[in-house]
Amino acid sequence: MALKINHNLVNEEIAKTLVDICPFKAIEYHDNKLSINAGCKNCKICVKKGPAGVIELVKEEIKTINKNEWKNIVIYADIEENKVHPVTYELIGKAKELAQVINHQVHVLAIGHNLTQTVDKILHYGVDKVFIYDHEKLEHFDVERYTNIFEDFINKNKPSSILFGATNIGRSLAPRVAARFKTGLTADCTALEMKENTDLVQIRPAFGGNIMAQIINPNHRPQFCTARYKVFNAPEKTINPTGEIINCPIEDKWLKTNVEILEIINKKKEEDISESEIIIAIGRGVKSKEDFDLVFELAELLNASIGCTRPVAEAGLLNNKHQIGLSGKTVKPKLIITLGVSGAIQFTSGMKDAECIIAVNNDPAAQIFDIAHFAVFGDIYEIVPELIKIIKEGKSNV
Amino acid sequence: MYKSFDNFDLAYIKSIIDNERVYEKGHISSDFSHDELATLVKYPDVLIKVKNAEEISAIMKYAYEKSIPVTVRGSGTGLVGGAVPVEGGIMINTSLMNQILELDDKNFTITVEPGVLLMDLAAYVEENDLFYPPDPGEKSATIGGNISTNAGGMRAVKYGVTRDYVRSLKVVMPNGDIETFGSNVVKNSSGYSLKDLIIGSEGTLAIIVEATLKLLPLPSESISLLVPFETMQQALDAIPEILRSKTNPTAIEYMSKETILNSEKFLGKKFPDSKHDAYLLLTFDGNDINIIENDYSKVANLCLAQGAIDAYFIDTDERKKSVWSARGAFLEAIKASTDKMDECDVVVPKDLIADYIKYTHKLSKQLGVRIPSFGHAGDGNLHIYVCKDGMPEEIWQQKLKTAFKKLYQKAQEMNGLVSGEHGIGYAKKQYLKESLGENQIKIMQQIKNVFDPKNILNPGKICQ
Amino acid sequence: MNIIVCIKQVPGTSNVKVDPITGVLIRDGVQAKMNPYDLYALETSLQLKEKTNGKVTVISMGPPAALSILKEAIYMGADEGILISDRKFGGADVLATAYTISQAINTIDDVDLILTGKQTTDGDTGQVGPETAEFLNLPHFGYVTNVEVKENKIEFISNLETKIMKANITLPCLLCIDSDINTPRLPSYKRKVKFGNCEKQIKIMSFNDMEDQDETKYGLKGSATQVEKIFQPEKTTDRLVLQGTKEQMAKDLLNVLKERKFI
Repeated sequence: MALKINHNLVNEEIAKTLVDICPFKAIEYHDNKLSINAGCKNCKICVKKGPAGVIELVKEEIKTINKNEWKNIVIYADIEENKVHPVTYELIGKAKELAQVINHQVHVLAIGHNLTQTVDKILHYGVDKVFIYDHEKLEHFDVERYTNIFEDFINKNKPSSILFGATNIGRSLAPRVAARFKTGLTADCTALEMKENTDLVQIRPAFGGNIMAQIINPNHRPQFCTARYKVFNAPEKTINPTGEIINCPIEDKWLKTNVEILEIINKKKEEDISESEIIIAIGRGVKSKEDFDLVFELAELLNASIGCTRPVAEAGLLNNKHQIGLSGKTVKPKLIITLGVSGAIQFTSGMKDAECIIAVNNDPAAQIFDIAHFAVFGDIYEIVPELIKIIKEGKSNV
Repeated sequence: MYKSFDNFDLAYIKSIIDNERVYEKGHISSDFSHDELATLVKYPDVLIKVKNAEEISAIMKYAYEKSIPVTVRGSGTGLVGGAVPVEGGIMINTSLMNQILELDDKNFTITVEPGVLLMDLAAYVEENDLFYPPDPGEKSATIGGNISTNAGGMRAVKYGVTRDYVRSLKVVMPNGDIETFGSNVVKNSSGYSLKDLIIGSEGTLAIIVEATLKLLPLPSESISLLVPFETMQQALDAIPEILRSKTNPTAIEYMSKETILNSEKFLGKKFPDSKHDAYLLLTFDGNDINIIENDYSKVANLCLAQGAIDAYFIDTDERKKSVWSARGAFLEAIKASTDKMDECDVVVPKDLIADYIKYTHKLSKQLGVRIPSFGHAGDGNLHIYVCKDGMPEEIWQQKLKTAFKKLYQKAQEMNGLVSGEHGIGYAKKQYLKESLGENQIKIMQQIKNVFDPKNILNPGKICQ
Repeated sequence: MNIIVCIKQVPGTSNVKVDPITGVLIRDGVQAKMNPYDLYALETSLQLKEKTNGKVTVISMGPPAALSILKEAIYMGADEGILISDRKFGGADVLATAYTISQAINTIDDVDLILTGKQTTDGDTGQVGPETAEFLNLPHFGYVTNVEVKENKIEFISNLETKIMKANITLPCLLCIDSDINTPRLPSYKRKVKFGNCEKQIKIMSFNDMEDQDETKYGLKGSATQVEKIFQPEKTTDRLVLQGTKEQMAKDLLNVLKERKFI
């Protein structure tokens, strides 16, 4: 569909109306000529709301494809040093739902080295097939080599949809492969649905989450998307997996690369709390430095970083690089648990945009509860040890 | 003499105020025993978080009758001990009185309770395309505190100070009477301006319970220039030229490399440029981008002619943030850079600011003590910090005393005053006396006596 | 060293709304600016330029108004700018955008290094960089936090999920620069005075300048994905209060943590 201007209907007044109506300033009127510039986002508001008939939609011929030739949903197994990123299992869970709608199978593509055990784990999540490309030169992620492997896989198997975790690897690999097949890619999806015609409905946030967009890829296959970690649910594990393992041959020419890895270092826990995904913030309710051990233990269990209020930093209990608020760091974690924080504006202005705020304070009138999503009216000295206890119990049961 | 606060008094207070908002001795957070600078420490006997004027009136009636001292406190961000209850007694905390009562878009005014934070007020009016110009660095201060110190801030060069934006004040008098001073009028020639006496009186004359403030339309454009100089001397020499240029900047701030490096260390974040010795930060605002461009170009050219390295644009949100977050942390950063410090905020006629800053550098060398400073070059108001840096306490006290004496003396010579915006409170009383002389202090004491004959409201401050 | 930095003009704020009737984004009164993430890539390029005596060309695809960010980049220290702008490029998705940019870069001789930001603040995809690299048949790496030029290659550090990787990559290549790795310099008044409108420094490329003259590969026609609709997410501001015995509260808390997948 393209926009066409019927220039014979344009006069100055109509031109002005149209220029004003475009939210993207994409309609221009110069030297008595109305034109649409590159800012056009095809929102069609000029067609719907503009003077009738001046700008029209012209249908264009679209190359269609035979969607029946493309079958099954593939999950790219996000593997680093033979550890499967949990987003992989979550995607398997979602893919099983999606596949049911169109009666497709769920397949997994695993690329790496010495994958036997790793793949065995994946099989327990109940997939139909796991395709393995195993080679010592594939031990670490290499975008060129992995893209070549992916190309071979797609050419041989013609999958309908391919889902990646929106991890740093997924966000590097998915666009490369999608571009190689000149097909669409939707990044960072937070919801997925399947149409009966096998079109994958992909919903993703834009503008920092202020807007959601629903996107389809109707005339190209495969359909590519990356999806966020922790939005879908992993399926129950099966005890007797029935999935099939398919070892795929590798050609040397696929293994050419321009990247030479020098060193891989384990990341230290985020030093900079403004980058942390989970933060536990200590307020004045935590009375002495000795009590911090309790908080540190909880932080360890949740893999959280430690933040604090200004009074805590000023009392020298924690270094001021942990300080959150107006005169400290601004943080936007996925989760912040505040312990004994009263919630002075000095503090809250540095963390109120956190996605989930859990506040624990024994004063129900504390200001922190005004912005908390979960307000725990209780004594941190009772709740934190209890929480640590049951988290540990839970972990030892697994 | 004052009556000491006893259990009987506590019981009475608890009979008129919700008990959960009454904190007795032993249950009062140490926050309420000091202000931001924390050199003066004294707990009140009781802390009351009040909710409205009627509660304050009832407390004052009782305190007046019994002669119990009362100190009012907002966010406690003061720097001169103004809100420290030096005589103990009752502390009234207004931070729960934080409602914005009315935005009047016909008269361009806003009526607020005293506990509204400056940052909340600014954000609220901006949402309505309006503008409250006073802009002190401490955004978590309450508006009541701002009025009580006649706070100035960065935009004073162009827009003036808090006093210029207060139309009327509703106050509780020391005897519990409720009065409204001033009115929502533009002109006023109706007798002595009692409203103006309250402004800057640091809670010694009456308790502000409601304020009606003047607003302006929000300027649509605002752009800042960061101008680096090879030496502080050059930067300071440029200031009088800028002031003469009739370009009307909103703010002219100066900062040294040392101050910037301190704040980089404190925030763990690099400033966009810290290679050079001295910087001027200028802001221009208005509604016509062409006029603004014209003005900043004129100033930039003038600075370049004075030896500036360049002039950098601060125009987008993230650029503003990278510079202003550092600027906002200067005080904290200097505090973190030393074990102990004291501050003064003298104000001198603005044409003499360069000379004064040069004097602080000279004094620093002379006394062998670090005296970092930054401040509002455009309005003559300086923030000067004398740092202990691990010196033995005795030597430090001595040096601090000498430094302050000389700093105030120099200001006096230049026809300057003791405080531009932080107030006198407790810490600067001595210097005020020396600066104004006995006659003026006496007039102030008499004014205090008229408002507060029993001297129960924030005793021991300013002129006492 | 010949460096290209890809930049984009985005709305001044992400705080945009959807018109409930037309379903179209309302961007009224929102000024445009350079994508903040691109500033880190641009700063990286300018530091490399200083070290290697190189040249920085900024390249942007967008409407004529995007000229302003190219000028801004030149005021910051870039040498030249290219605006890829044509009605035929309008409505492009990731695929068509990356293809168009790769076509434009193909017209530039002796490119050593291409830098991009990690994503934009409007589309938020972070995928145009890698796709552009694919179309240019160049190696790429993402989340790069440090770049050092060695002979014919670059030693870089990349911020992977749980690891930090140090590696060499041969030139030419494309690197997506992570955010907050430097403090971008500010635009210079002196350069603004010197270059003014940058007529000599900036050139505009349209469809006719591209090597591939197949219109179906550009803009809306060249896009694989279609936006079916946009909508505003529902905000849940409900506050849940947990109270009771300590055991009860701790249990409830654990459930919240599990539900939200923090455990």
